[in-house]
Amino acid sequence: MRFLAIAVAAAVLIALPLVTTGYVVYLANLLLTFTVLCLGMHIVIGETGQFSLAHAAFYGIGIYAAGIAGTTFGTPFPVSILIGGLAASAIGFVIGMVALRMRDIYLALATFAFGEAMQWVFLNWNAVTGGPNGLRIAPARLFGLELVTDKDAYPFVVATAIAMLVLTVIVARARLGRSFRAVRESEIAAQAMGVPVRRTKVVAFGISAFFAGIAGGMFTLFSTYIHPDSLGFQTTILVLTMVVVGGLGSIGGAVGGAIAFGLISELLRQAPSFQEIAYGAILIVFMMYAPKGLFAFLADRFRGARHA
Amino acid sequence: MDKDLILLFLQQGIVSGMVVGSVYALLALSIVMIFKTSEVPNFAQGEIFMAAGYCALFLLVFQATPVWLAVPLTLVVAFAGAALFRRVVLTQVSRASGSPVNLVIATLGLSYVLKGLVRRTGFGDTPRSFPALVSTDGVMIGQASITRLDVAIFLTALAVMAFLFCLFAYTKVGRAMRAVGMNPKAARLMGVDLQRIHMLVWGLSAVVSAIAALLISPKILMTAEMGGIVTMAFAAAIVGGFTSLPGAVVGGFVIGIAENLVGLFISSRAIVVAPFVAIMLVLIVRPQGLFGGRVAIKKV
Repeated sequence: MRFLAIAVAAAVLIALPLVTTGYVVYLANLLLTFTVLCLGMHIVIGETGQFSLAHAAFYGIGIYAAGIAGTTFGTPFPVSILIGGLAASAIGFVIGMVALRMRDIYLALATFAFGEAMQWVFLNWNAVTGGPNGLRIAPARLFGLELVTDKDAYPFVVATAIAMLVLTVIVARARLGRSFRAVRESEIAAQAMGVPVRRTKVVAFGISAFFAGIAGGMFTLFSTYIHPDSLGFQTTILVLTMVVVGGLGSIGGAVGGAIAFGLISELLRQAPSFQEIAYGAILIVFMMYAPKGLFAFLADRFRGARHA
Repeated sequence: MDKDLILLFLQQGIVSGMVVGSVYALLALSIVMIFKTSEVPNFAQGEIFMAAGYCALFLLVFQATPVWLAVPLTLVVAFAGAALFRRVVLTQVSRASGSPVNLVIATLGLSYVLKGLVRRTGFGDTPRSFPALVSTDGVMIGQASITRLDVAIFLTALAVMAFLFCLFAYTKVGRAMRAVGMNPKAARLMGVDLQRIHMLVWGLSAVVSAIAALLISPKILMTAEMGGIVTMAFAAAIVGGFTSLPGAVVGGFVIGIAENLVGLFISSRAIVVAPFVAIMLVLIVRPQGLFGGRVAIKKV
């Protein structure tokens, strides 16, 4: 079953640029970027049970850091992407370390306020971010290779997304991933087993910021322009909704949710005024009736029907 | 800047800060009330505040309802809506998984639904001004100038706080609320109906937020985004320790005054960053807040 899913996914990823137009490839790039954002959100919320409500801000830090590195300093794009990830995670670690001193929930509140503060910084730090005019991003470069179109960027976006997916699986299976889940299930039990609870939470949050920064770097591969408006709380909620639709606490859910809900939200674009109600209602209804996500919900139904 | 000007700015900043601060304090109280009993920071508090403001606007301006009817009606709607959300939605959410993360996500969902609904009604698409119920003539306090409306805001907020204090200190239902906050299991053994108390707390919290909206709305332009003010209230609650009701009040005043002083001395554009800076400062210098005690570790 899992092998089949991977085979189908690989076939689709390879076939996509051959049979479709530029817009679809652009959409695929964007969805893959959101997949990485969702993986980051999955690590902090799904695995560790902590909140990061500044995902859009870290994504933005990644975009600006990678974009400025590539555009102004002409770094090769793998380096730019890494700079994006490291910049985001460095800031993330500092915030996590301070915010997690008292209550868990302070991380949610501090990141909530941080998200707004960062959007303000993006809008007002004209010298660096271009402020309300936005930032033009030069095409990504590597040894004379220049990624001009979405199709040029596509293979590298796919490669980065797969690398991050593999990284997520490695982390999940390592001691670190087990301590994440131990902290989520019971802090006392985790502590009794010798898991340093607070450090584990800070690390989870820092890694999630790193993923968001890398996603920002991916964005600079295929996009030429960024405006602070698209880096607000709305984007954080979009990522959260994707993870919730896919299923909190499962890697497959994070990926599936990003793709499934990414497509839905692309359709919702036709009716922007319903967008907010739709996101909110989806969050509420899933928390009420399908806290494990769409796929687990359907699987349960399917199994239930067969047994009946 | 010469000394007189600094003195004038200080007075103006503190007096105006007390006025806005009293509104932040009310919002922070509504947040802390819910957090103490449900362990959930209610991310929809700002939108409950906003929706209540629009409800009052709709009644007063579009339906020409008299004030004596419109205000109680708004409070009733806020109470019923929040109590219903707690009863119908959150009860089901805890039944489905019980993880606090899921409850928080549900409140985030509510905030988006409310924002979207207000936009759908068509009132939220352009900024609206809310009619002032008290005259806006100037009043001087020391060298600081404010309006009669400001004085009314401040006094009403103080009255609400006094009412809450009496409620929690002297009434049976208020003590039951505090008992649930301290130890829900023990409270239930003493015959407290948890479900009912939770509904009452959510309803009460929404009423306090609605009053905050009625107070501040004449001073600002109403938009569907006005719930963003909740960031200030979160900061106020954190300053106060997040589980202390007096702390929430003091925190509200601290944040209100700090905001005004930042606006006067640094730049009004820097105000957006102020709550984040305040939160980080408190967490670095005094993470338990001004009034917060040690955090009790939850046993397995």
